[in-house]
Amino acid sequence: MQFLKTLGLAVALTGLATACSLKEEPYGFISQTNFYKTESDANAALVYAYAILPEIEYYSRGFITITELPTEDITLKPDAGASNFEFDRLAVRADNVDLTTTWRYAYIGINRANAVIGNVPSITAMAQANRDQLVGEAYFLRALHYFNVVRLFGAAPLHTTPVTSLSQTNAAKGTMQEIYALITDDLKKAIAMTDVTRRDGRANKVAAWGLLAKVDATLASGKNTGVPGYEFVTDAAALYAEAKTMATNVTTNTSYGLDSDLKAVFDVTKKSGPEHIFDVATDRSGLTEGNFSKLPLMFIPYIDGAVFTLNDGTALKSGYNHFITEPALYNSFDPADKRKTDLIPNQVTVNNKTTTLGINDYSRPFTRKFIDPGQVGEQTSANTPVLRYADVLLLLAEASGPTTEGYAAINRVRARAGLGALTPGLSAAAFFDAVIQERAWELCFEGNRLFDLRRSHKMESVLVQKYGKTITGDAYYFPIPSREVDLNSLL
Amino acid sequence: MRQRYFIFLLCLLLAPALAWAQAAATVRGVVKDAVTGEPLPSVTVLVKGTTQGTASNADGSYSVGIPAGGATLVFSYVGYLAQELPVTEGGTKDINLKADTKQLDDVVVVGYGTVAKSDLTGSVGVLKGSELNKTPASSVDQLLQGKVAGVQVIVPSGEPGAGATVRIRGSSSLNGSNSPLLVVDGFPWGDAGNLKQINPDDIASIEVLKDASSAAIYGSRGANGVILVTTKRGKVGKTSLTLSTLNTLSTLPSKLDVWGNPIDEATISNEARSNAGLAPLYIGQDYLGTYYPSLAELRGTDPNKPQWPYSTYWPDLVYRNPFSQSYTLTANGGTERTKFSVSGNYYREEGLAIKNAYDRYNGRLNLEQKLFDNVTAGVNLILTHTQRTGGGLGAGRSSIFPVYNTDGSYFRIGPLDYGNPIGIAENVTNKSRGFDVLGTLFVSWDLTKWLNFRTQISDRYGNSVDDNYQPRNITYTGYQFNGFGTINNFNNNEILNENYFTLNKQVGIHGFNAVAGFTTQSFNVRTSALEGRGFISDVLGNENLNSATTQVINNGGNKSLLNSFLGRLNYSLRDRYLFTFTGRADGSSKFGANNKWAFFPSAALAWKMQEEEFIKAIPSISEAKLRVSYGLTGNQGISPYQTLDRLGLARYYTGGAFQTGYGPGVFAYDGYNKIWEGVPNPDLKWETTSQIDAGLDLGFANQRFTVSLDYYYKRTRDLLRQSYITPSSGYDRVWVNDGVIENQGVELGLNAEILNGPVQWSVGGNFTLNRNKLVSLGADNFVWNGATIEMLRSPLNAYIVGQPVNVFYGYRTNGVIQNTNEGSASGLTGDMAKPGELRYVDLNGDGKITEADRTIIGNPNPKFLYSFNTSLRFKGFDLGAQLYGVYGNDVFDFNKFSPSRQLQRWTPDNPTNAFPSVNSNRAYYGSDWFVTSGSFLRVQNVTIGYNFKSNIIKGVQTLRVYFSGNNLYTFTGFHTGYDPEVQANGQAGGAYPRPRALSLGVNIGI
Repeated sequence: MQFLKTLGLAVALTGLATACSLKEEPYGFISQTNFYKTESDANAALVYAYAILPEIEYYSRGFITITELPTEDITLKPDAGASNFEFDRLAVRADNVDLTTTWRYAYIGINRANAVIGNVPSITAMAQANRDQLVGEAYFLRALHYFNVVRLFGAAPLHTTPVTSLSQTNAAKGTMQEIYALITDDLKKAIAMTDVTRRDGRANKVAAWGLLAKVDATLASGKNTGVPGYEFVTDAAALYAEAKTMATNVTTNTSYGLDSDLKAVFDVTKKSGPEHIFDVATDRSGLTEGNFSKLPLMFIPYIDGAVFTLNDGTALKSGYNHFITEPALYNSFDPADKRKTDLIPNQVTVNNKTTTLGINDYSRPFTRKFIDPGQVGEQTSANTPVLRYADVLLLLAEASGPTTEGYAAINRVRARAGLGALTPGLSAAAFFDAVIQERAWELCFEGNRLFDLRRSHKMESVLVQKYGKTITGDAYYFPIPSREVDLNSLL
Repeated sequence: MRQRYFIFLLCLLLAPALAWAQAAATVRGVVKDAVTGEPLPSVTVLVKGTTQGTASNADGSYSVGIPAGGATLVFSYVGYLAQELPVTEGGTKDINLKADTKQLDDVVVVGYGTVAKSDLTGSVGVLKGSELNKTPASSVDQLLQGKVAGVQVIVPSGEPGAGATVRIRGSSSLNGSNSPLLVVDGFPWGDAGNLKQINPDDIASIEVLKDASSAAIYGSRGANGVILVTTKRGKVGKTSLTLSTLNTLSTLPSKLDVWGNPIDEATISNEARSNAGLAPLYIGQDYLGTYYPSLAELRGTDPNKPQWPYSTYWPDLVYRNPFSQSYTLTANGGTERTKFSVSGNYYREEGLAIKNAYDRYNGRLNLEQKLFDNVTAGVNLILTHTQRTGGGLGAGRSSIFPVYNTDGSYFRIGPLDYGNPIGIAENVTNKSRGFDVLGTLFVSWDLTKWLNFRTQISDRYGNSVDDNYQPRNITYTGYQFNGFGTINNFNNNEILNENYFTLNKQVGIHGFNAVAGFTTQSFNVRTSALEGRGFISDVLGNENLNSATTQVINNGGNKSLLNSFLGRLNYSLRDRYLFTFTGRADGSSKFGANNKWAFFPSAALAWKMQEEEFIKAIPSISEAKLRVSYGLTGNQGISPYQTLDRLGLARYYTGGAFQTGYGPGVFAYDGYNKIWEGVPNPDLKWETTSQIDAGLDLGFANQRFTVSLDYYYKRTRDLLRQSYITPSSGYDRVWVNDGVIENQGVELGLNAEILNGPVQWSVGGNFTLNRNKLVSLGADNFVWNGATIEMLRSPLNAYIVGQPVNVFYGYRTNGVIQNTNEGSASGLTGDMAKPGELRYVDLNGDGKITEADRTIIGNPNPKFLYSFNTSLRFKGFDLGAQLYGVYGNDVFDFNKFSPSRQLQRWTPDNPTNAFPSVNSNRAYYGSDWFVTSGSFLRVQNVTIGYNFKSNIIKGVQTLRVYFSGNNLYTFTGFHTGYDPEVQANGQAGGAYPRPRALSLGVNIGI
């Protein structure tokens, strides 16, 4: 009897202990279930959507790698990795790591923007204007990512809602027409929902106008020049008309303008200058790469590993000498062009000894669009520009064609560079070519040239015929990364 | 009359004793080992047929009363044959006990209980603490190497405090752990491989549970096998005190292959740069702030310059002959009601690298008290404090330049050279301190004679603090940030409550032994990391991180819970047919919501054929046991919260400051690449291994010769894998259960006592063969395992369906290109087609060398492991030796083109096919050129000892002095100067050298 009692007690104790629940409660992290409730949550959701942009894999390196290397702007130091060289040699394979990375990061950005678009509108505990501003910016970001995807890869999977379970991970391809329709629609929503207030590192109505102008110009020029894939575009003239309207909205918005001092545009202490419509923001006080940028180190030459000074006294630490300027670009400038003389320095001074860097040397003249003299360790505050005023002016010129307005716009950019006015009386085609060439000089190293060459159908005429490169595979679209092709059953 | 009077007096004197013990006479004497003559303490001396008796003292002496008319005394002692001694009257009777070579009735610890060795049904390896090699080993696991068949131990680093990789019966998981579960005194400690908290001198026995039947009692943690470590317990008898010391001097085992001759080094450097189209450095020039002497200057043949004064041989500066020490003081003893074992240990291991050492202070108490006749309570406590300082240092630096500048600062080759190992050793703070406690309180209650209930509560607490500071002029990080300091804190607390019944009953020919219980274990980890970047000066090191310009704080933690029901039934019929049924149900909070509970059953059958008449008819066979088992075990392998949906955190600079954001996608590292996770998988569960084992134990000539043979087949399904998911989802990877892996193999253990007279000589050996095959990887056929290796710009190890895990994947080569035609004919272009380059093979014959030409180029899994041991005893002398070998594995030798081989490089005048030309800009690819056989046979240990006679020094009962040499010599065809024992993935390069250790040990018992 005593034994049975004891046994009973032991079993009861055992039962008591079992009652501890095996249900897992989140600890130290935020989960879908405890988020998207308040205005702070809404703000944080948008911050997260922006935070993908300055990642090293995206605008702080990867995006520049894959958009600049194929062009005549830059090449690589000899011992750079094979996947970088595939871009430089225009022979990109579907399993290229850098290609896959950019693809991934654009879609991570899309998913983060979708999370804002999908969740923030239902947060009612905040003023509608604030909520619209946040959601509108998310629409802008989604449009930007899809614009990158469609220009790099063409038709691609289309996700318009956030992925929260394994069953949602695959999506079917949208055609280029469908993707462009989404982009245009998103930008129009962004225009409607956002204001014109400047917030550093964030987009507003002006940025959405500018980006829509660029999207329209891409569609129109792609159609006009017969770029494969743009056959669906029906009315190029209407698109150019809209582009002109959008660009004019930007140029008539008084808080933005052309900075008269070319170097000031790329001065990290003047990030709020008039020319910055939308930059991907970084700051050297950040804790991890992606908060700060190392992009300048990719361009800055390695000068004895030491600190060197430029002719204007700017002191810089030796960089990685990874991206090096190509003679094709460097030699194409007018010798008086300030965009060469001021922005691509060719003299460095170490210990009072000045060296001139030759364009065919190991260390070459390099762009100072990405420099931060206040660099701490390897941490810089160099932003990556996405849309600046000069870009929009040139879009305005392109959309206006060889009209007074068109000439006025391009000549403002040329004048700042210390160049005379563009030859008057050009034909529409010659004027278009001149604008594309002006964009090459004005926007070099900023991730525009590849897209300009593609949308103007000039990949072969410029890169192959003029500069003697070889293109292996599709010149206008990179292959969809093999990882996507292998895993996405709906492609 | 006088005689009578005398007897009367005697009776008076003895009356109390007689009244108490009812003894008529007293027998005294000394119990000794029959061979060594050593006195044996704690020998039980019983009057046969009674409960009267005593135990021998530390000096082996005993004294026991016998009833009138005489009696038979029974002397018994663990490990010795019991001996009966008929006595008729009091007096002195010394007795010599013979060691029991037939240890069939040893008690073996299995999970949640013990079983007689002869009644084992599963495959269990047993090792006594005394069988461990005597050498400095900061983690006990290292000492298991070569000791137990089926257990592979890899010790890839000789760094003090480094762990080991332990595998039982192969690798059965890709992303979960492959390490066996380690259980210390019944407490499931975690993955084996880094057990620093136990002093090897404290270990009574180690049991290795290999098959499903024995490991299933540990359920979802048993799939990789289980290692049970049991520390020494107190015994009834006088208190014995033992002091064990071990003092060790170590050396580098072989001469390192580094630059020793500046002329050779400069010649090769100039040639390598010329071949790469770069200007040679050593031409007597200033370059980047460093003067590079010309070859003539180095040789002393330049008429205008004095001979170059420097020739630095870095191994002499970076390495030393370290001295290591270990002292253990143990007290054991007890009465019928109280038993105790207490020990304290100080251990200091100095590393081969200067300023590198590992210290440990360890205390242990095992105490048992009978509260009532049927209730025992007790406490087991282990306290450990460890401290590591310093670490590995490179010795491959240029021999041409000095260590210091003339002003005493560290010499730098170029402005960004922060690789001076002396500077690093002398100035970088690199310390790690740990404190661990394992405490258990238990109550054991004999409810009836055959039923026991035991309940215990254990707490394991671990705390570690890592200190690091890198001054500005010493390391690149220090330079970058103007001083860089960190403090990392780790806290781990586990509480375990176990309650179980044990039943033991023999009913006629039916024997029952059963265990049933419930356990609950909670895990709680907290971490914090403090980092400071940018300091005014380096004076404070990391002592005041608040003074740093930039401060970074990180903290984290996780909690999980494991509830389990467990049970085992051993049933024996006629002591001949043995059956074991085991099951454990584990419920873990870490498992997905749809799969919270897992059940792991197993069954085993053993047939003791020696009890059958037809075997009894062959008297030379002393044991013949056939064992078969089948069952399931699991592997948890999931981190907490992996099954939940998680939002990530990131910051973005806007509005003049960094703002914090949350959203989908959690950042993680997958080796080299950043990856994004966070899609929940509520179906996630454990991996399940089903295993069949068939074994045969044979013993001959009263166990003088024993053979144990096992065959097993393991199939693991639901492999936990980080599967790639469609990247356009915005995520990279998710944990899933798919994939199947197989292991099968043979284990053989042999032991023979060749001589057992005055000279005792035994030899033993074991053999382990495992074949591993990846059967399925879900939707994939090929997955890289591991990060991109910078030198190869590609990963190296791969999981390929149909192949063993971790095979090397890369290009084949066929010697060196001898001329330009050969280069272009090989399908190579550009620099790769030049004479002197490696000739890669165009496997698919498409006329080009592309990634499609890659194939499997090596297998790091050994074909088999083997070890031999022998021991010889004569009088007080003993000699023991152990050899350990690994055969048939490939090693990817990143040091293949070492300095001595660069001197044998290809040149137009030396058209070798063995080595390419030297070229400072060559891009290497993963190829079979790097793959070398990793087979070796190591003289692991040789021990020579002498046991002095008792009381040779007054009061000293036992005194043993021995010399032990470890890692004495390695027979191998591997790269001279490098150790072939490398990490499990077969990659060799940059490991901390394994010392050759020469130890002097003294054991004193009083």
